[in-house]
Formats: sequence, structure tokens, C-alpha cells
Amino acid sequence: MVVEDPAEPSAGKRERSLNLNLEVCAGIFLIAAAAAAYYAALPLDAGSMSGVGSGLLPKATSLGLAGFGVYLALLGLWGSPERIDGFSFRGIIFVLGAIVAFAATVRPFGLLVAGPIAMLISSMADPDTRPLEILLFTACMTAACYLLFKVVLHLPIPVLPPLLGY
Amino acid sequence: MWDLITNLQLGLSVAGSLKNMGLCFLGCLIGTLIGVLPGVGPIATIAMLLPLTFGLDPVGALIMLAGIYYGAQYGGSTTAILVNIPGEATAVVTVLDGHQMAKQGRAGIALGIAAIGSFIAGTIATIIIAAAAKPLTTLALLFGPADYFALMVLGLMFAVVLARGSVPKAIAMIFFGILLSTVGTDIETGEERLTFGWMEIADGIDFAVIAMGMFGFAEILRNLEHKEARAVVSAKIGRLLPNMADLKVSLAPILRGTAIGSILGFLPGNGAVLGPFASYSTEKKIAKDPSRFGRGAIEGVAGPESANNAGAQTAFIPLLTLGIPPNAVMALMIGAMTIHGIVPGPQIITKQPELFWGMIASMWIGNLMLLIINLPLIGIWVRLLQVPYRLMFPAIIIFCCIGIYSINNSPTEVLLTAAFGLFGYLLIKLGFEVAPLLLGFVLGRLMEEKLRQAMVISRGSLWTFIDRPVSLALLVLTLVILVASALPAIRKSRETVFTE
Repeated sequence: MVVEDPAEPSAGKRERSLNLNLEVCAGIFLIAAAAAAYYAALPLDAGSMSGVGSGLLPKATSLGLAGFGVYLALLGLWGSPERIDGFSFRGIIFVLGAIVAFAATVRPFGLLVAGPIAMLISSMADPDTRPLEILLFTACMTAACYLLFKVVLHLPIPVLPPLLGY
Repeated sequence: MWDLITNLQLGLSVAGSLKNMGLCFLGCLIGTLIGVLPGVGPIATIAMLLPLTFGLDPVGALIMLAGIYYGAQYGGSTTAILVNIPGEATAVVTVLDGHQMAKQGRAGIALGIAAIGSFIAGTIATIIIAAAAKPLTTLALLFGPADYFALMVLGLMFAVVLARGSVPKAIAMIFFGILLSTVGTDIETGEERLTFGWMEIADGIDFAVIAMGMFGFAEILRNLEHKEARAVVSAKIGRLLPNMADLKVSLAPILRGTAIGSILGFLPGNGAVLGPFASYSTEKKIAKDPSRFGRGAIEGVAGPESANNAGAQTAFIPLLTLGIPPNAVMALMIGAMTIHGIVPGPQIITKQPELFWGMIASMWIGNLMLLIINLPLIGIWVRLLQVPYRLMFPAIIIFCCIGIYSINNSPTEVLLTAAFGLFGYLLIKLGFEVAPLLLGFVLGRLMEEKLRQAMVISRGSLWTFIDRPVSLALLVLTLVILVASALPAIRKSRETVFTE
């Protein structure tokens, strides 16, 4: 049982707020992205007005982006008190992990292996997942995907490991 | 006038073929099915189901995708009425009165009037599209590159003003989208741009990858954060068909909603989202007893639902006539067209009349189908709503993975989608709206192309944008909108529309 601090207005919310200023972080994020893009666009020629080069648009937009980044950061520094909500790291790890696992296994092992792996890994993102239920559901979904994408739609996705001759 | 009828006849003969009717039906059904599930909006739905259409001919594929689109719209309203959660953004207002009606045991009537209103709006919108198509394509053919460029600038400005949230943040997202669109090989010089030496993105980033990452995966991450409490109405759905009194009260709101929705849907930006809001506040303003709103007023369902459907359809006008997508869903449609080898733009209507008119006619058929299939199937939708999210999101993930892999048979694109999922989640966390980014991404390439052409034609003189009357008018309009959106009075009303 956690005792809520009445002085803290966000107490009682499930997600704890990170103590970072929203606009400042948003601004820094834009500036960093713009810097990376501008750096990559450095070797490209912006050309002249009559012959717009390949570099004009990337450079112009990244400068614009950086401008908005600065604006947002200043906005955050002066006044805007909004904070960033907590991140759901559990979600990030298992959901993205599941997708990466699918990408890694679909070619060598096929849909009938990659599909269940992705579903089972992703299901761990939710603390409410029940083992038996998700196993049954995964089996049904895998069969349904096989029927839909392979039997009905004939998509060229591998089904089983090629070693087995499929 | 006669032209219109013969054209629609051609369309009906294409859309009315057994195969296309079947595809339209299937699209509506699947679209509703997925639209009913909360947390999966139309963008993720279409991106996810894109592979279903790979084996079809272009006409059939687009008819099916369009069916999925308005099926998803309609499904979203069903969720709004029964569960108090909008299935997607366009149904947010329907929640207010629709769910109250459901609590009072009038869920069936709310669903019924939503379906009837949508059908009437859809019919009128179909006629509007058919009537506007010819003149607009003629106009579009007169457009030079400079005019096109100016038009897209105007479109993006609209998108910013009509989007929710902060204007500078929305503009920043558009810049980000344009920047992402430049990744890959430059069409003119053949140079690799912003690829960081990574061969896999030398052809540019696939639109479906961004859409699925930012609207599919990022949404899942956000939904996992806070568990929604789903209160499915356990009371009886009740009678489905509204009685005469209900219809009489609803007719005027339906027509007003259709008018508002048609205009806003045609404009770039979040037309289909803004329409329902505007319709709701109009109805509330002119009602004799505004206090009934929020407590189950049938006008509060009829008007917004019609506006939503009308807007969803008129959004096709800029896409089909000018080749410019007014919102993210239409941007996805462009992606689908490109996969099937169709170049969107004014030439479609003359070169592929069967495609053009067939698609328009199928919209009307689709609306009729929604009316017919949804009312008896509501029982199934209700049961579907009881599927918990813990089962839903793994299913969405596997569908998205298969979908993305199938577009180019590339596991790398699946990885890239995951990266965009993380990127989208970060942006959401930082308070950005991702829809403008998507629009900027799609328009970015087109804008660069038109800008280059315009500059070559004018020999590098920027005056070309001001010398040409069309482009000048469009740019002036852009400026007016920008200034207007910064005015305190308009800013305030914009805020109230969205907070209501």
C-alpha cells in the first residue's frame, strides 16, 4: 500500500512523471535530429536557384527543424511547466523485441515459427497476460495467419524452415 | 448533367460486377471488424491490410481499400456508442451523446441513426465527388509546377491549423516529414541522400513502413501504458430502427452535418476529424434546449456521424483530381495506388475512367452495404468488444509484421518499422502529433519535384510564384490562414472546438 502525498498533484496516477520539462526535451530532440540530418547533408550540393541541387531541401528543412527546436526549448525554459510522462519500458522492450525477433526468424525458420515467437514475446509486455490463454490464442492465430496469407492470398512468405523442404 | 449520369452509370457497371461487389463487401466487413476494436484506427487498419489487396487488379484493390476505410470509420462509431471509447478520432464526439443513449437503453437507435445518417451523407458526398471531379481535373491540368507547389504549401498550412495541439509543433512535424522524404537516392542527380551509407534505404523509406510504425506500433506502446477501463454496455441494445419522431428530429442535423463534413473533408488536414466537432457545436448552438446535449440527444449523434462520413468521402476529391492527399489515410491510398502502378492525379479520370468512376460508385454501394451489414451484425461487434487488449495487441503485431514483410519480402523493413514505432512513441511522449509528419512525408517528394520544375521553367526566379495568379492567390491564402490562426480570438475558438 502506497501512501499518497496530498501535496503532489500527480500522486495516485499509475505512471510516475519523469521530472523533465516537456518542451525543453522536445526542443532538444528536434535540434539533435536536425544536426544529424544536416551533417549527413553536408556533402550534398544545394545548387543554385535555377538548378536546385540535391542538398537544398534536406539542408533547408533541417535548419527549419532546428529553428523550431530552439523555439520549443526556449518556451520550456520560460514558463511552460509541463513534464514528460513516464515511459513504458516494459512495453518498449517486449513489443519491439517481438518485432525484431520476427524479422530475424521469418527468413530462416518461416512463418509458423516466427509468428508464434513474435506473439509470445509481445504478450509479455502486458502484466495481465495469462499463460494458458495466450498459448491457445497464439496457436489459433498462427493457424489463421497460415490459412489467410498462404492458402488464400498465396503471399511469398516462407512457412517452414527451408531445410525441411518447404 | 447528362455527362454525370453516364459517368456514374459507367461507374456502377464497374463497381456492380459480382467480383467488385464482393470485394467491396469484404472490405466493408473487415474494415468494420477492425474499426470496432478500440486502439486500431483507420491508418493502421489500411496499412495492416494492404497485403490483402496485392493479388487483385487495381480497380478491385482500391475498391476494397476504400471499403476498409469507411468500414473502419463506421466501426469506430459503434465502439463509441457501446463502450464509451471512440474506436478512432473521428468518433470522439459521438461518445458524448451516443454512449448516454446507450445507457438509457437506446443503443440500438443510436447505432441505427448513425448508420442512416452515414448513408445519407455518403450518398450526397458521392454525388458531390462525381460533380466536382470533371471541373477540378480540368482546372488541375491548367496548373503549372509553381501553382502545384503553392497548392501544397496551402494544404500543409491547412493541415497545421486544423490539427490539434500546438501550431509550431505541427509545423515542426511537417518539416520532419519533408526531411524524411528526402532520404534515399535523389531522382535528378542520382546522389544518395541522408542514408548514412545504409544500402537498405537507398531507395527511400517506404511509406507503409512509417505509417505502420508510427500508427500501428507506437499506438500499441501508448495503449499499453494506461489500461483503459472498458465498460461495455450490458443493457439491451434495444430496437434498432428509429421511429418517425426520431427520424424527424434527426433529418435536419444529418443534412447540416453532411454540408459541414463535405466542406471540411475536402480541405487538407484533419477534415474528417474536425467535421464531427464542428457539427456537434453547431447543433448544440442552434438547439432549443442545449442542456439536453451530453445527456443522450439524438441530434448529437446524427449530425456528427453524418459529418464524419461525408468528410471521409470528400477527402477523396483532392486525391483523385489533383493527386494530392489531404490527410494521412489518403496518403496511404497513394501508397496503395503506387503499388498497383497507378499514378494519382488529374490524368486518372481521362486515362482510366473505369477506375475513377468505379471507385466513386463503389463508395455509394459500400455505404449501402454498411447500412445492411451493420445493423444485423451489431451483436457480433458487441461480443468482439469483449476481447481483452492483452490478446488484441499480439494479434495486431503479428498482422503488422506479416504485412510489412510482404510488401517487399524484406526482413529489414520489419526492423525499420520497429525503429519508426519507437520514434513515433518518442514523438507522442514529447507532445507531437504524428499525422502532420506523415502528410509532410508524402507531399515532400512531390513538392521538391514541383519546386525544381518551377525553378527550371522560370530560370531560377522566385518571382514565378508571385507572377502566376493562381500561385499568388494560393500563397496569399496561406499567409492569411497563418496570420488568422495566430489571432487570439480564432486561437481561442480553435481551442474550445477541440476541448469540447
